[in-house]
Amino acid sequence: MSDSLSVAYRRPPALAVLSNALVILWLVVAAFPFVWTVWGSFKVEGDFFSRQSFWDAVLGIKTMLQTGQAFTLDGYYGAWVVNQFWRSVINTAIVTVCVTVISLTFGTLGGYALARSGHRYSFWLLIAALVFRAMPHITLVSGYLLPFFQLNIWGLLPTAIIVLVAINQPFTLWMLHSFFLGIPKDLDESALIDGCSRFQAFRRVVIPVMWPGVITTGLFSFLLAYNDFAVTSMLLSQDNQTMVPKLASFLGSIEQTGKVMYAVAAVVSATVPLFILVMFFQRQIVSGLTAGAVKG
Amino acid sequence: MPHRTFLAFILPSALAMLVFIAFPIVSVAIQSLYVEHPKVLVKVQSCTPFACTDDVQVDEAATADLKRKEPLGQFNGLSTYTDRAHLAFGEIGEILHQNAGFSDVVSRIYNLPFYRALVFTLAYTFVVTPLAMILGFAIALAINGVPAFVKGPVIFFSLLPMIITPLIGSLMVYWMINADGIIGASLQSLFNDPNLYLKASPTLTWIVIFIYGIWTNGPFSFVVFYAGLQMVPLDTLESAMIDGASRWERVRFVVIPSLMPLATFVALVQLMDNFRVFEPIVGFNSQGNATSLSYSIFSDLNGQFSQLFGSAAATSVLTIVGVVVLLVPVLIRTWRDFNRKLA
Amino acid sequence: MAEIRLKNVSKRWKHFVAVEKLNLDIADREFLVLLGPSGCGKTTTMRMIAGLEDITEGEIWFGDKMVNKLEPKDRDISMVFQSYGLYPTMSVYENIRFPLRVRKVPDNLHHDKVMRAARMVELVDFLDRRPAALSGGQRQRVALGRAIVREPNVFLMDEPLSNLDAKLRVSTRAQIKHLQHELKTTTVYVTHDQIEAMTLAHRVVVMNKGIVQQLGTPSDIYDRPANIFVAGFIGSPAMNLVHGDIQDGVFNAENMRVAGLPLTVSGPVTLGFRAEDAAIGPETGEIAAGVYALELLGDASLIAMQVGGELVSIKAPKEFRADIGTPVRASVPAKICHLFDRTTGARIEERIVR
Repeated sequence: MSDSLSVAYRRPPALAVLSNALVILWLVVAAFPFVWTVWGSFKVEGDFFSRQSFWDAVLGIKTMLQTGQAFTLDGYYGAWVVNQFWRSVINTAIVTVCVTVISLTFGTLGGYALARSGHRYSFWLLIAALVFRAMPHITLVSGYLLPFFQLNIWGLLPTAIIVLVAINQPFTLWMLHSFFLGIPKDLDESALIDGCSRFQAFRRVVIPVMWPGVITTGLFSFLLAYNDFAVTSMLLSQDNQTMVPKLASFLGSIEQTGKVMYAVAAVVSATVPLFILVMFFQRQIVSGLTAGAVKG
Repeated sequence: MPHRTFLAFILPSALAMLVFIAFPIVSVAIQSLYVEHPKVLVKVQSCTPFACTDDVQVDEAATADLKRKEPLGQFNGLSTYTDRAHLAFGEIGEILHQNAGFSDVVSRIYNLPFYRALVFTLAYTFVVTPLAMILGFAIALAINGVPAFVKGPVIFFSLLPMIITPLIGSLMVYWMINADGIIGASLQSLFNDPNLYLKASPTLTWIVIFIYGIWTNGPFSFVVFYAGLQMVPLDTLESAMIDGASRWERVRFVVIPSLMPLATFVALVQLMDNFRVFEPIVGFNSQGNATSLSYSIFSDLNGQFSQLFGSAAATSVLTIVGVVVLLVPVLIRTWRDFNRKLA
Repeated sequence: MAEIRLKNVSKRWKHFVAVEKLNLDIADREFLVLLGPSGCGKTTTMRMIAGLEDITEGEIWFGDKMVNKLEPKDRDISMVFQSYGLYPTMSVYENIRFPLRVRKVPDNLHHDKVMRAARMVELVDFLDRRPAALSGGQRQRVALGRAIVREPNVFLMDEPLSNLDAKLRVSTRAQIKHLQHELKTTTVYVTHDQIEAMTLAHRVVVMNKGIVQQLGTPSDIYDRPANIFVAGFIGSPAMNLVHGDIQDGVFNAENMRVAGLPLTVSGPVTLGFRAEDAAIGPETGEIAAGVYALELLGDASLIAMQVGGELVSIKAPKEFRADIGTPVRASVPAKICHLFDRTTGARIEERIVR
């Protein structure tokens, strides 16, 4: 393979070894916790948390003794059936889908306006968004609680959804704004000349060529809603909890009862969608991270 | 674009931000000036067939009534800010007045809850951010040289620590470093010390959380720097080769300068994200040894018996001030750039 | 010594052949231009000389040293890139000084050398600026200054003028020619612009599809193009090429008949002549066709006519006027004609009867 590099670019052997070693080491560090936890989730607690030797977890000695097989689904049964984890999965699905769709709707409209308006105030709006982006979410949450109690909308899914949409807006605006800047102005101006209104030009001409940007931004909106803990744990009632706060409330009760494997199974379950996401959208995620960087 | 059209397009987004970001900031500021009502106490005489005793009891109905009439609580001015749980002016004055040397001052101030959280938050922000960037840059340089078919999988696994739900990621690591977990147990047998426990001392806890932070933050720097490396102008790189620059000189004089704008961006984003460090404290269950500003707000709001809105709000306001201080250099620079563009 | 020899040099990527068995001797102090359309292998050839590209086959010698395995920095060359490759964070002074710095030239020599180079490229007033604050022509001169500061054995220049506007190109061209004359350094210069090649070169290498088409002095190449490709590439406008048949010394094509050609050639051929060699009139002229278009160039008029299914151009005096469609005659005597084999494209070297 190194034949493709010319003399000028070829690394001296020592450097090549060193840098390949770094890559391999990083690969292990990055991937190992996932591999280990997924593997361990099919074992019993005695194996996954083994004082004697990690070979217990690899070979599943106690799992064999307790269940007769090398792998067990006990943890998953406990999480999904006994603790009704599926309820929070449904809640998470509702919240993430709604947040993504609404964020994108608001964000494309606003991002387009910011990208096409040359007025001073659009600059200040972007700056305000940057400051809002930096606000720790929990500080905002402490501002919500009292008013929400008063209005009697605390604990409901729609409340959490709209709050997450709002918290998401600064980032969404910035990202879509930079994607819109990449689309030549000529395109919508020729649509305007051809007789479209601004909104028609936006919907019929600009959005069709914006799909890559919209999908990329959508991924990040999804991730924000999916990964959130501060908002969902404080604003949702017990019944409406999504996966992450549900997991957190597992922890308290579980550690006393010795059912840690339920939590491990729930953690792995919650990781699977993220795996799938990265597998299919790796390119978009990378382009999204760099789009902000290159133009910001 | 005419003002009216602009307004129509921006309205939903601006409204959402106004109502759910700008108002809450105001609301927090107001709340921080109030404090919860004390419980309404009543004297109750309870009699048994033998004797009557006077008892002091909480009058639940009256308390609830008071709470309903004045939901904010009673006005408290700036006292919440200066109390022991926050800026602790009184305590600090006392410490400064009477102490046994510098290290005594430091350790006593560190024992005040707000300063504890502040110190950890700042330490986390300013240790994790640069280290994660250095790690990311090193990986980006290293991966640039590996064959193309390896790059895809490497990037795949590199993205995982970054996009993993922070609480879940910290739980995974927490279980591994547990005394019974693979890393914890292996370290015990490696050092032959059955009492070695990564969560046992504050120092070890800090180190573990920092390492976790670098693990989740590194990939972001890596991805951005890796993309930046593809955009280093080839002409300049080859000029440097012909001019006689060594490999290291090319990195120093060509690669790093051309990545500087990206590095500023990465640093800004990571400073903002790291300053709100929160989930790892919950995941590692480490509030005893390490706690952050975000976490102290969370625990005020999540109190077992009552929620301390005033206290949470005061910490929130102080946190927001911290964020703004962090952002000031950026804002000033942006403003200058913007004016220069106009000029 | 700085003569360069390329022996059977080839460059291939998987299935693509960039350069095929190239042999070239470049003399010491020579100004050699590699000329050809984009993708012809000229830049690849230069990059192989620089060491930025590996050689698939063959050898490159600098003097009596084979340099195939040497890194660029060990070849004692300097290079000017198409987009200059300046260091954006360094001042002009630091840009020019950079090669001295990384090659560990003693510090006390730096200032004199940088100033000398800066004077030669007329940048003394701009030494404190960053490249971003310079015009295109100034940036180009920084790149030149950086190339000459070290006094290397060989200059390599990769389309150095192509990012400049037309006017600046002419003056910078003259500057480069003057510099090379002063410094007497062997120079290899890559361009797709035949005027640059004609004006700058001691010798020109015309390349196409990785193969050398012709190697010679500018006048060789202009006067005796070796094949249809060179004929069509050199000159402005390029040589007119008409497909037709030759029999008994007479060439026939639609609207055209030329007599007095060699008797030894017969069958289908391509006849070439230059617009500036032909002339309008007289009534017996070899070409008879309607005016297709008339372009006024200022110093002359260019008449386009359809001949043998192709458009040919004839240069006429600047006051010549004719409406489109007017029948015109043009004289293309046998002595200005070049004959090419229709199938191989090679020049038919039977000297045309004068």
